Order: sequence, then structure tokens, then C-alpha cells
Amino acid sequence: MLEIRNLHAVVEGEELEILKGVNLTVNKGEIHAIMGPNGSGKSTLSKVVSGHPEYEVTEGTILFEGEDITEMDADERAHLGLFLAFQYPVEVPGITNKTLLREAYNTIARANEREELDPLEFEDYLVSKLEIIEMKDEFLNRSINTGFSGGEKKKNEIFQMAVLNPRLSFLDETDSGLDIDALKVVSDGVNKIASPENAIVMITHYQRLLNYIKPDFVHVMMNGKIVKSGDISLAEELEANGYDQMQKELA
Amino acid sequence: MSSVSTKELIHAYVQLPGVLRENFKELRSQAKENLDTCAFTTKKDEEWRFTDLKSITSNKFESVDTGIAQADLELDEYHLPEAMSSRLVFIDGNFSPSHSAIEGMPDGVIVGNINDFPEHEQLRSHLGTMTNYEDDVFVPLNDVNFQDGTFIFVPKETVIEQPIHILNVFTHRNNPHFVTPRVLFVGEMYSKATIIEEHIGLSDNVYLNVPVNEFRLYSGAHVHHARIQRDSKNASHISRPVAMLDAHAEYHSYTICLGSKLFRNEPRVIQNAEEVDFTVDGLVLIDGEQIADTHSIMDHRFSHGNSHQLHKVVVNDQAHSIFNGKIFVAKDAQKIDSFQENRNLLISDTGKVNTKPQLEIFADDVRCSHGATIGQLQDEEVFYLQSRGLTEQKSRELLVYAFALESVESMAVKSVEELLLKEVIAYTNRD
Repeated sequence: MLEIRNLHAVVEGEELEILKGVNLTVNKGEIHAIMGPNGSGKSTLSKVVSGHPEYEVTEGTILFEGEDITEMDADERAHLGLFLAFQYPVEVPGITNKTLLREAYNTIARANEREELDPLEFEDYLVSKLEIIEMKDEFLNRSINTGFSGGEKKKNEIFQMAVLNPRLSFLDETDSGLDIDALKVVSDGVNKIASPENAIVMITHYQRLLNYIKPDFVHVMMNGKIVKSGDISLAEELEANGYDQMQKELA
Repeated sequence: MSSVSTKELIHAYVQLPGVLRENFKELRSQAKENLDTCAFTTKKDEEWRFTDLKSITSNKFESVDTGIAQADLELDEYHLPEAMSSRLVFIDGNFSPSHSAIEGMPDGVIVGNINDFPEHEQLRSHLGTMTNYEDDVFVPLNDVNFQDGTFIFVPKETVIEQPIHILNVFTHRNNPHFVTPRVLFVGEMYSKATIIEEHIGLSDNVYLNVPVNEFRLYSGAHVHHARIQRDSKNASHISRPVAMLDAHAEYHSYTICLGSKLFRNEPRVIQNAEEVDFTVDGLVLIDGEQIADTHSIMDHRFSHGNSHQLHKVVVNDQAHSIFNGKIFVAKDAQKIDSFQENRNLLISDTGKVNTKPQLEIFADDVRCSHGATIGQLQDEEVFYLQSRGLTEQKSRELLVYAFALESVESMAVKSVEELLLKEVIAYTNRD
């Protein structure tokens, strides 16, 4: 589904490399976790994959379903089925969740030559997805993330994911700042969305999230590269010994 | 910019056949005198410092013949469903009875052409009394030249449920001309009304629109006043709307600027007794080479007044927005609570914004504050929407729409709100 080959990236207009040759393959039905210390480039990876204009790919390719998406705009990638749950969801006063999602859903449907939903059909569809994050109807009519608590913002990301039904989702630090109740709701939501037809990549600093969403693969990212891959035991090792220990071992 | 000499401006006006009609003779002859002597001088340059008046000074404007308005003009599309029996229509300044419809008003209410009530006591005692604009040619120009106009009188404790729609239509005329719409509103104690004043250019011709409004609110009177400016894109519009409020009166005004090449709006609200409440909101959406200039005054002369101003501006292309918001609080006017906010969104690299809050406070127990921001769309916001599948263009449109929406939502009349939403969408979709 996703194949990242030797990906190098810089902040647009700057010299310093943030990604220094990332290789990653994600197949349908898989859940991956990318772990790493602050500044390792893991959040950057999720932004580069979803097409953030702030970054420039200087070398390497990103293939999605066999198609080279390295130079595509973010919206085109979304049309193909890529999704990014933001670490810091953006507040957009004046536009409701419903308005954004209807526009997004129908734009993606058009791009894929699928049927658009009229407002009434869409309302029903939206309401049917609310239970995934245990939110009430009024959530739909609130301005996007405006005045939301940290937990509500993260829930909203997962709600958007449920509605847009992407093939591949990057969850960027979705667990950060969540209390235990909110973490349960969010991870339950992700587990409900996960299916043999889609794939999920979680970006996280801590092992905590992985207690709730079980990854098939765990990767450790350091200094702009994936330095080690394995299964859940790798996360447990990190939890026990910390990133410093691993860095020493690798050196 | 360089100053505009008196002669340049006056030149255009004094050659106009200022028909001094029998009605309002005193007002007109006084104004004529002012027009002859008043100077658009360099000492007032500060007030016009940023405003390019080329679109006025490069033309000579003729007056429009008085007479019958074009009865066959098709204007249905501009009607508001809420005001089907409370509409006054003026075509190039002439009252059009056939397009107007006033029915079912409560007892004692007057909504009509100012010329049909020249001897009305309220009209005689208020017309021309509130518009003391200093060293000004535009009010006297209107005083001298207005032919028809709106007179609204709402008696004590009377509520007009339906909004009153004052529709000023500008048709195509070959020669540059000027029109001087006039409104006098008098609301007696505890009366209530909603006024929608609209200016629409049907063509893209050159004209100068100089409306003067006087709103006199007695104690406890409530007025909502929406002003929608959709003049021809080559028109100039110089507005003088004044409201004077007695105790417990409430006046809420919203001005929406969409059209015209040059727009200069000088709203003034005067607190004439204790305990009043008013808003002077605005929304400006401009592009191309449009200039939109708001010079407002919130004039607190007595204690216990609340006032609020939210002036929102979106600037595209080479357009230029100017804002000078004055809050005056007189020496003995204590316990004033006044807030002014000017928020500007620049969506091009070549647009221009000048903003200047101006607080002159002589009382010591007041709360007055102001804020001005000039911003651009944030890349992170655009990316967020784009990552959800919206094109970059659509994302930007939606963000501009959201910025403008706050003002539109305060409209008291549903169809006006819808109309403005359409205008906002049209604006964000312009190339």
C-alpha cells in the first residue's frame, strides 16, 4: 500500500536535512507504530507523506498503491485515501465540523467518481459515525476545533478519519495530552475503524498508546532514519531501557 | 497622498443646477451658503490623508433630472421577502411609487417620500439638525440637492414588525452624475423598527452617491439598521449616517461594503442622554482597485453608555482599506463601556490596509479599549483543510468565508443574511 524509499526532506528553503533516508513499507490490514525521541523526525515523516508544503523532498520517493505521490498536493493525496490525524488540530472559527466534512467527503467522492451525498443523507451518515468517538449530535455544529478541549480535538481527528474512511492513516501523537478516559475513547475509535482493508501508522513518543492499539510492527526512528524495526517487544524494550540505551547499542 | 484642493472638489458641484425647491427652503439656502464658503482645505488633510479621491476629482458630475422614475424597470430580484409590503424604492434618487409598497403599517406610522410631508412637525424639527460634519462639502451638497428621500416616523410604543427596505437603485446613464439619497428616521419613546438601506448599481457606470441619514431615537427606542452598499464598480460613495440617541435607546448598525470604486463612510452615533447602547459594525470585502474608507465616531456625551464596534475587512488584489475609529468620551460622561475592534485579512501581496484607532477620553471612570489586527491566512489552516481533501483554492475560500461570517450572522433579517452569504461566496470565488 505505502512504500517509502530512501526519503530525504528539508524544510522548504533550508539546508538542514530532517529526514535522512527513510525506508518504510506498509501493507493493507497492518498497524504500524513509529516511535522515537523528540526531534527524531517522526512527525515530519507524517507531514511529508501527507504533502505539507512546508517541506521539500530532496531525494527518494513515496509510492502509494503503486503510484508515485512524492510531488502531489495534499488534497490529491487525500483523494487517493491518505489521512493525517494532526498532533495539533487547527482551530477554524466560523466553519462547522459538518460543513468541512461534507465538503471533504463529497470532494473525495467526486475525485473517485463515487456518488456524492446530499445534505440529508450526509447528516444521517455523520450521525452514524458519532458513536465511534462517543460524541453527541451538537458536536457536528461546532466550529472546527474552536474552543475544544485537548481531548475533544483528538476525538475530532478520529471522527474525521471515521467519516472520510481513508485507506491509510497517519496518527501523529494522537495520545499526547489525553487523560486515560479520553485515551480509551480515542483508541477504541481507532480499533473500530481498523480493518483488513486499511492501514494505520501511529507516531508516538510513549509506549502507552500501544497498550490500547496493538501494532503489528514497531519502528524506532532516530536522527531522521528508521534505525530498528520489530514487533511489540521492541516497544517494551524501549519502555524499559529508554531511547538513550538503544542509541548506545546501535552505536 | 497629495492633498485635494478645494477647487478641484467644489468645481464639480457648484456648476450643478442646484434646484432650490420650495420644500426645506431654509435648510437648502443655509446649505448653499455653506457649499459656497466651506473649504475642503489642507487643514483637514489628516482626515483624508490615506484616501485617494481620484475617482471623484477626475470626473465632473451632473445632477439627475427630477421627474418620474422608470416605471418599467424590473427590480423583483432585489425585493426582500420579509419586506414585500414595507419597501421604498428610489431610482437614481427619484422616488418610484410603482416599485414601492407600503401596507398594513401600525396606526400613526409614516413610511414614505420626504416630499409628501414637508410640513410634518417631526420632520421640520429634525431634518438637518444632526449632521454637523466639520468643513464638509458632502452634507451641504445633499442638503441642497436631494429631491426625494425617506421619511420614517414611528410613534410612541409602536413596533413595526416587518423590516423596512429602502432600495436605492442606480441605472445606467452615460454621463457621470451624482445622486443624494436622504433618510430621516424619527422613533418616539419605546418604538421599535428595523431598517435595511441598500444601494445597488445596475450597471458599471460612473456616478457619485452621497447619502445622508439622520436617525433620531427618543428614549427607549430600538433600531436595527443594516446598510448594504453594492454600488457600480466605477461609482464613488460618500456616506454620512448619523444617529442620535436619548436615554435607554438602542441603535445597532451594520454596514456592508461590497461595491463602488471609492467608499467613504462616516458613521456617527451620538449619545444624547444617559444609558444608551449601540453598535457600529462593518464588513468590507474589496478587491481590484477598490478603496474602502471608514471614519467613524462613537460620541459619548453622557454617562452610562455601552458601545461596540467590530469592523472586519478582507482585502484582495490592489485594494486599499482605511479605518479610523474614534471614540469620544466627554468630561462628565462616566461609566462608559466602549470597545472597538478592527480586524483585517489581507489575501493578496499587493493589498493595503491603514488602521488607526483614536480614543479621546476626558472622563476618568470609563472602560474603553480597542484592538486592530492585520493578518493573512495561516498556512497551517490551509494545509489542515487541504489534507482533508479540499483544494487549496477551496480551503482559502472557506477560510475567508469564515472570517466574514461573524459579521453576517449578526444581521437581524434572514433574507439579508442569505443575500450576504451569497455575496461573500461570490467574493471568495472571484478570480
